[in-house]
Amino acid sequence: MDTSSPAAFVNGALLRRYIGQKVRAVVQVIRSDIGSVTGKSTDDQQIVVKGSPPPSLTTFLEVIGIAESDNTIRADVWTNFGDNFDAGNYNELCKLANGEFRHMFI
Amino acid sequence: MAANLTAGAIAKMLSGEVTEEKHMTPILQVTEIKLIQQTRLNQELTSVERYKVALSDGIQSQEGMLSAASNFLVKQGSIQIGSILRLTRFNCSPVRNRRIVIVNEQEIIAEKCNIIGNPIPMLTTPNAPQAQAFGTTSTGFHQQQATRSGVLPNSPQSHAVQRQQAFDGTGTGQATRSEVNGLADSHQPQVVQRQQAFGFGTGTGFHQQQPQFAQRQPFGSGTSPPSARPYVSSNAVGYGSSRQEQTYYSRPPPPSMYVNRSPVDRNQATPMISPIAALNPYQSRWTIKVRVTSKGELKHYHKTSGDGKLFSFDLLDADGGEIRVTCFNEVVDRFFDVIVVGNVYLISKGSLKPAKKEYNHLPNDYEIQLESGSTVQQCYEDDAAIPMNRFRFRYIGDIENMESSSIVDLIGIVLSVSPTGLIMRRNGTEAQKKAFQLMDMSGRSVEVTMWGNFCNAEGQRLQSLCDSGAFPVLAVKAGKISEFNGKQVSTIGSSQLYVEPDFPEAREVREWYEREGRNAPCISISRVSSGAGRQEIRKVITQIKDENLGTSEKPDWITVSATISFMKVDNFCYTACPLMNGDRQCSKKVTNNGDGTWRCERCDRCVEECDYRYILQLQLQDHTGVTWATAFQEAGVEIMGMLAKDLYYLKYEDGDEEKFEDIIRKAAFTKYIFKLKVKEETYGDESRVKATVVKAEKLDYSSDTRSLLEAMHKLRTEDANSLTIHPESSNYRSGAFNSSVDVPPRREVGLPAANQFSNDSRPLGGVILCGACGSNGHVFANCPSFMSEPQGQHYVSTQGRNAGRGMPRQHVGSY
Repeated sequence: MDTSSPAAFVNGALLRRYIGQKVRAVVQVIRSDIGSVTGKSTDDQQIVVKGSPPPSLTTFLEVIGIAESDNTIRADVWTNFGDNFDAGNYNELCKLANGEFRHMFI
Repeated sequence: MAANLTAGAIAKMLSGEVTEEKHMTPILQVTEIKLIQQTRLNQELTSVERYKVALSDGIQSQEGMLSAASNFLVKQGSIQIGSILRLTRFNCSPVRNRRIVIVNEQEIIAEKCNIIGNPIPMLTTPNAPQAQAFGTTSTGFHQQQATRSGVLPNSPQSHAVQRQQAFDGTGTGQATRSEVNGLADSHQPQVVQRQQAFGFGTGTGFHQQQPQFAQRQPFGSGTSPPSARPYVSSNAVGYGSSRQEQTYYSRPPPPSMYVNRSPVDRNQATPMISPIAALNPYQSRWTIKVRVTSKGELKHYHKTSGDGKLFSFDLLDADGGEIRVTCFNEVVDRFFDVIVVGNVYLISKGSLKPAKKEYNHLPNDYEIQLESGSTVQQCYEDDAAIPMNRFRFRYIGDIENMESSSIVDLIGIVLSVSPTGLIMRRNGTEAQKKAFQLMDMSGRSVEVTMWGNFCNAEGQRLQSLCDSGAFPVLAVKAGKISEFNGKQVSTIGSSQLYVEPDFPEAREVREWYEREGRNAPCISISRVSSGAGRQEIRKVITQIKDENLGTSEKPDWITVSATISFMKVDNFCYTACPLMNGDRQCSKKVTNNGDGTWRCERCDRCVEECDYRYILQLQLQDHTGVTWATAFQEAGVEIMGMLAKDLYYLKYEDGDEEKFEDIIRKAAFTKYIFKLKVKEETYGDESRVKATVVKAEKLDYSSDTRSLLEAMHKLRTEDANSLTIHPESSNYRSGAFNSSVDVPPRREVGLPAANQFSNDSRPLGGVILCGACGSNGHVFANCPSFMSEPQGQHYVSTQGRNAGRGMPRQHVGSY
């Protein structure tokens, strides 16, 4: 994976700002198919993650990849985050990281 | 058993659409029954019993009369309140602008039924009007009307004439009145509950153009309160119209329906209202018109002479005078439900006693005690002359000069609220406690503690307001000043808290805050770092030194979120006395007697087997600094994950060095939430500030993040200065941060970013003056003058300096 550019923390609403760019997001897995996973972002929007998911998925999943549209990510890196995850906090992080403190992240 | 009432029937009857059975035979429910004695003068002077009823269709009710022939039905109980009847023969005709139903024949559909719907009740005359011979008209009904009104002694001034004429004259005279606005008139001013928008107009609507009586007044006890003045304006509490009839200046109205049934001041032609200030024990005939500003709880007391109960309430009158009223025992039962905060009452015939200053903090030398002969009557008409509440606000800055235990009213902005804590009282009971910081225009803040119920009600509200980032205005009435780590204010039984109140002072405070208060330095007159209730006071390690924690007489209890960076392994435990000394283990260090027994000095005994207890010297580090702390048994177990005894054996007996080191390594560099007790102790000539770990908890990232988010949010909405510091402080951290972007633990991600700002976060309500340069807006650690030097290094050097000593002295970030 290309690690030269940092991935921006996104939730559902912020994804559209980074279309074509590398993003990372934590989603709650709703449905898992071959080649894609449908998840709910931390702000309750639906996000489709394309790619090859790992064989076993926990409830929460972090994906890093390129944003293809305002609700799709083509993911290269999939990381299971377990079943306990505070989506609210992560959502706040996304907002802060893209808002007031973006100079610290990107 | 719910029969279907003919909805809308009453309306039709009232409008004249239905006047007799050939139009419809409605099914109605009896909601009231009253026995009327009628005398008919046109026949012999006989007294006839008739039953007057209120019939309802579930929506409205109407007056009706049952035929005399049906009297027995009522007497035997076939017709009772709740009975459902179908009117098979009836006549509905207007009688002096009202419609009465004369029921000649009815069919009983149900004898017993719950009242259906919510019909507006009609008949409430408390006293059955006595038969009075008035002029008659053909129907006995009119007489009945006359009768009832005959009992009504008073009338509004302007209409007195009319009304009295009506009464004095013959029944026909009654026709003269009330045509004034063409509103149907009832002359039942006592019929307190009648508030209908049409038809049966309440009271007299003489002055009223429009139905203010459209409002329904739930009339708790059916009294007809005298109104203070002839009801002119439309500040109707709705009753006004009916109240007209009984104004103040005329005879008091028919007896109130309060339990005692005695009027306010029957003997006086004009009950005079005295101001509270004029009350004294030497004058027994007085009436006051007052608003209840606070109502106490029902309290039970036990004395050797017996048990009893009491409750008190505070009153305020139009002149601003205040007085407390207390009721004991039976009197409590009479008035406890009657008194409602905010309502206006006329009170009379209580006794005046000297005020008990211990409980009563009102500025009055007397207090009223209500007796069995006292009267309390509610005034329905709201008296705008009596303010809702009377505050004597003081500035927080003045509190410093006030004595402890004095009572004060405050108004200010709530800066922060801490979660509810439970305190164990000396007598073993638990009490709920919640504290918050209140700041006002004097630029000072104080810690206000609320106890008991306040925590749940107002406390929760304040907490949610503050959590959402708002800074609500709060007014405190009757807060008690206490000296505890500076000055504090706490609530007492008679305190009241008003969140976001609506008076001019509140608006003033709000505006001041918006303008300047937000950014004003806030000096706390309470020592914020007191955690008497073990509230979570989060600190960063440098604050221990900055704020000179532990240097006052009492130890300071704080919470820090930190990592163990080093642990001394040489003496991680000691041999302790296992004997129980009361509830607790003695735990004093025992000395080896050499023969395998251990001697304890405190217990003065020897034991075979000693206990091993942890005494860990830890170096705690967070993003601001480092400090040493000592952890004893409980915290030690949490940190190490095993008993001291096991660890001891592992090291010394089994000699398994590797495993031992493994364990140590695992324990180190883990992050915990530590509850520390910081205290300055003197060793000979030197005094050092020592920190003891009282509790070590694993960090719950979720809630920790949330509290950091809160702190950030708070910060962002405050001082703009602090924001400019961020770019600088971010320099040395961002590098560290970015490198961790691709590295889990993700969950920590929130924290490092936030950490930078918690640097700047104000210790809740405390001073944020920088120790180095003295300006406000940041703490020492973030001071621009130190910007280039990462704090860690600073500490390391001092560590090195002292490392050679080998003694576990505390370095609290010596500079």
